[in-house]
Amino acid sequence: MAYHDAPQTTRSLAILAIICCVLQVALAPQISVFGGRINFMLILAGVAALSEEPQTAVITAFFAGLFYDLTASVPVGLMSLLLSAGAFVLAHASGSAGGGLTPLSIQFFSIFALAVSLANGVALMILGVEGSIVAALLSHGLTSAIITAIVAIPFMMIYRGSEASHRSFSSRGGSRFKGIR
Amino acid sequence: MPKNKRYTSNLNNRKQSTGGGPLIVFCIISVLLLTFYIREGETGPIHAVRSGVTTITSPIRFLGGALATPFDALGNAFTNLTASQESLDELKEQNAELTARVAELSEAEASAKRLEELLGLRSTYNLQSTAARIVGASSDAWSQTVTIDKGSADGMEPNMPVCNSAGVIGQIIEVGANTSTVRLITDENSGVSAMVQATRAQGMLQGQPDGTLRLEYITTDSDVQEGDIIVTSGIGGVYPKGLPLGTVTSVTSASNDIYYTVMVSAAASAENNEEVIVITSLTDEQVASDDDVAAANDAPQGSARDAQAQDGSSDDTSDGEAGDQTDDTGEEE
Repeated sequence: MAYHDAPQTTRSLAILAIICCVLQVALAPQISVFGGRINFMLILAGVAALSEEPQTAVITAFFAGLFYDLTASVPVGLMSLLLSAGAFVLAHASGSAGGGLTPLSIQFFSIFALAVSLANGVALMILGVEGSIVAALLSHGLTSAIITAIVAIPFMMIYRGSEASHRSFSSRGGSRFKGIR
Repeated sequence: MPKNKRYTSNLNNRKQSTGGGPLIVFCIISVLLLTFYIREGETGPIHAVRSGVTTITSPIRFLGGALATPFDALGNAFTNLTASQESLDELKEQNAELTARVAELSEAEASAKRLEELLGLRSTYNLQSTAARIVGASSDAWSQTVTIDKGSADGMEPNMPVCNSAGVIGQIIEVGANTSTVRLITDENSGVSAMVQATRAQGMLQGQPDGTLRLEYITTDSDVQEGDIIVTSGIGGVYPKGLPLGTVTSVTSASNDIYYTVMVSAAASAENNEEVIVITSLTDEQVASDDDVAAANDAPQGSARDAQAQDGSSDDTSDGEAGDQTDDTGEEE
């Protein structure tokens, strides 16, 4: 039996989603490091997958990916597909990792970011958007994954979601949200 | 007596979902979206939705661009980390000279100067154009695009060329109500019909994955040298002919190659918050004539440098006019 505070979780996730969407539109285009850019939608999907139930994580990841697709010059549907599948795998794989900032969660998130970014690069090359496999994987994919994983750390520190509830029973109740309320 | 089933509380005893159902549904939706996006034209419903989202998010984009402008120097520092020592020394020298100039000029004066240059470019080439401002860059790492603050409400349409005072920066690929996305010439999906100004050797200026430019299909019997100016040829009818694209930085070829490998340094860069002009229509003189196309097909390698120089002053053909126009611009710069 699990304890749920659905409205609180939904509200926290909504706040996180709004923050990530604003940053994706306003900040992501302004920062480019070695050909890579921060993907705040990947951060949203990853944090949700680490902290929420798999179903919530998949739904969040799909809409995060869709928002990314609609605000960037990339084929619509690609990032939503990759994030949905990635979040599903991450949510199940990280069952014992829990949310928040732990070495294990950072490890899981980094693998998630790398896998999604590289898969995106390969898919873009297949679709003809990218012409070079080296640029798609190393120049853009790898660097984007690295800077996204670094920027995700504060989000993982702040957002703990409802991991306590779905990983195991917890009586902490309202203290699940460390930062976002 | 009511059964326990009707009792509701925060205690959730439902079986937790694995997320498999939503995953399958969303994967199908994503694949369908991807398929429709690829198959539909520029005016399809998914493109329309994207334009709507771009319009809705444009205020946030503007705000982000405005806030980030003072920090552009920080981005340049990161870029400089990858530059060679020679380039850095050269840039430091240039920076010292520019610092003295910057001290004298206020931001308003600089802006006025850019606008003046744009007007000069517009006047020199007799361009039918609309002024716009770059308000943001690409939010993904895989494409080199910028967003300008004019959209379909201002008469913008896909394929319209975009220039700044130094030359061509790209071409509009998507249009929203009040913003447009411009694909830069350095994007690897960009290709501009171009020619070497001095010899009229024809080629295709292609963006590369690393953001550089390469002039392709220049045959090894052409006369191309470092420092040659590359201009638009007007073939294809998208870009007016004679607009500066860049300068040749290296010309190499292997022993059995048919074409040179010509690397080009872009004449124009797309900085945030910079003024640009969008060329809204071309006059007949700005498009390559049938004679130009025939000449390009007959002699893609162009003519010898000496012959071009001799013909330059007396040649009244359309090519000659384009060359003269560009020379004028070169002198102004």
